[in-house]
Amino acid sequence: MNRTISRAGLAAVVAAAVIAGAWARSGSGTVTAQAVLTGLLLGGVYALVAMGLTLIFGVLDIVNFAHGAFMTLGMYATALLASSAGLNPYLTLLVSVPLLFGVGYVVQRHMVSRTMGGSLAAQLLLTLGIAMLLENSLLLAFSGDTRTVPVSFDTPLRVLGAVADLSRVLAFVGAMSLAGAVWLLLTRTRLGTAIRAVAANPEGASLVGLDVRRLHALTFAAGTACAGAAGTLVTPLVTVEPTAGELFNIIGFVVVVLGGLGSVPGAVAGGLIIGLTEQLGGLYLPGQSPLLVVFGVFVLVLLWRPQGLFGRPA
Amino acid sequence: MRLKSCIAIGTFLALTVTACGGSAPGGGAPDAADASGTIKIGSIHPLTGALAFDGQQMSKAVKLAAEEINNAGGIKSLGGAKLEILGADSQGKPEVGQSEAQRLTQAGAVALVGPYQSAVAAQVATVAERNKVPFVIDVASADDILKQGYTYTFRLQPSSDTLGRYGARYLKELADRTGQKVTKVAYLHEQTDYGTSTFKSFSDEAAKLGLEVGPQITYDALKASDLTTELTKVKAAGVDALAVTGYYRDGLLTAKAIASVQPEVKIVLGVSHGAFSSPVFPRDGGAVAEGIYDSNFNYDATKPESKAVLDAFQAKHGEELRFIPFTSYECVRLIAAALEKAASRDPVKIREALAGISFETVLAFDGPVEFDESGQNKNATPVVLQVQDGKVVPVHPAAKAVAEPRPAAE
Repeated sequence: MNRTISRAGLAAVVAAAVIAGAWARSGSGTVTAQAVLTGLLLGGVYALVAMGLTLIFGVLDIVNFAHGAFMTLGMYATALLASSAGLNPYLTLLVSVPLLFGVGYVVQRHMVSRTMGGSLAAQLLLTLGIAMLLENSLLLAFSGDTRTVPVSFDTPLRVLGAVADLSRVLAFVGAMSLAGAVWLLLTRTRLGTAIRAVAANPEGASLVGLDVRRLHALTFAAGTACAGAAGTLVTPLVTVEPTAGELFNIIGFVVVVLGGLGSVPGAVAGGLIIGLTEQLGGLYLPGQSPLLVVFGVFVLVLLWRPQGLFGRPA
Repeated sequence: MRLKSCIAIGTFLALTVTACGGSAPGGGAPDAADASGTIKIGSIHPLTGALAFDGQQMSKAVKLAAEEINNAGGIKSLGGAKLEILGADSQGKPEVGQSEAQRLTQAGAVALVGPYQSAVAAQVATVAERNKVPFVIDVASADDILKQGYTYTFRLQPSSDTLGRYGARYLKELADRTGQKVTKVAYLHEQTDYGTSTFKSFSDEAAKLGLEVGPQITYDALKASDLTTELTKVKAAGVDALAVTGYYRDGLLTAKAIASVQPEVKIVLGVSHGAFSSPVFPRDGGAVAEGIYDSNFNYDATKPESKAVLDAFQAKHGEELRFIPFTSYECVRLIAAALEKAASRDPVKIREALAGISFETVLAFDGPVEFDESGQNKNATPVVLQVQDGKVVPVHPAAKAVAEPRPAAE
């Protein structure tokens, strides 16, 4: 407990120092406040993307390169329902989440399960192949034309001179609620306990009578359902096109490893850290890609904690 | 690290798989000088991947042009010979563009059109030089492509240097025309060569015109999903105008961030921007697109011929032809004119005809298409377009405008 408190204290001190430095570097309080706010909100979205990945990565030990494509599928579900049926984009969560859950279940049961325990290359090729298949099917069905889904009640909110669109705040709130829900599922339900057991020791779990294959499929499905939710929540913020999810793929992996494989709190903390790093890093090193600073922080954290922030040592 | 090796392996595999898919066995001897049959023109555009929509329209536009020329009697100096378009997908990748260019020249293409991306253009140009087949660049603005001393590569659109310089000139003229005082300009651009070189040319010209350019703010177009902080920097700098260079997706983010941050600038001008003069920008951006200017090359909207092309495309494909694919359409007409003039199917003779051509174009340029030593169309210039009431309309210079520039509502 004491260690947790001292660690939180350390994090707070580091954050304060970084923000003060950014303020001094940019010479404007408003710009710094904006970077912090944008960083937090973006970090929420990154956390949301990483949540599904970390579940799949942590439990099935599969590097899912199709995660971004699943997210794109969620975006298209939202965009189509919002434009054709005139639904509020946030209501389409009721469609995109079950849809992606089903897709994930089928994909795991009939494709990914065949590579479980197989070579890494087979898994990589499979998930990459699924990503290409999804992307190009969307291209075929809906052409490469862009779509946007405006939120009619969207309005800029002002905090300390910084602004944030309501749609971005909603995506952040949605991400945090979803993180809470997934965390509760994993820690407070029988299903969650079973999933954690499978993650810890698949052989042991099957010895005590757990249906490991079914649990793998359910976990994969839960992971893709998170991608679907992420897709819906970011749809009002992005341009929907067949390659839209790609943007979040690499960042998602970085967040997962930074936070610790399979850890939901790790995905949230990792997401927020990456979001803030990206925005504040832009103030420290203007003219450089934000990824430079992001990967710098990534390497430093892994030197200090190779298992990630919330991961258990191997 | 397992993950890192995974990502490395994955990326490697992705590249190899697609590269293999792109190369085809080069069967059959080159038969370019065949005296009978159709005249083949190779078209290389990104039909899949992130630029697929524009790429597919470019490919359709090329085919429409060939069809119209064939219906009007083909190439008369060659006994009414018909044009045939050999299409290829560059997938937006330089190495695929190169192997496809090789395949098309082997299949007998006497000229190549494409490719939309500068990196692809550089590779296709090497194939064109080696095989002595003329290559007409429709869209790909990087200055370097034509600095290699190539003799078979030509470019219809303005170079990135011209686009940057005209951006500064037009900004000044717009301020004067709308009676606004503009002395300080912030420049926001994506950080690759496209944004950086346009910014450099813009600043050079702006300095001559007495405009103060700064701050220069850059972002990563591939990774950006929010540009609010960047626009807050513009607001904090207290400038009169904002110039922007970027691609489509990030262009929408820019417009949204302008609307929420309200940087209080009098003019927002895109400099050869990938979004601001796209006909779908007002549709996708809605109210936030309104009033934004872009200095870019375009078809001449005052000419009835332009409307005829737009109508024909709309009738055939049920979608609006954008200005980028319009340039591809014009390239085929240019090649047909060169064939007509050369009265030969020999690629070397076609190149000679292109080098000395003076071609009346429906693009809004400062004169007919004429190439300089490097292969650049020396009369290619941009015009200023503005989003007005949900439509992109040319507003400057007055001779090529269909509406007056509208100052931003205060």
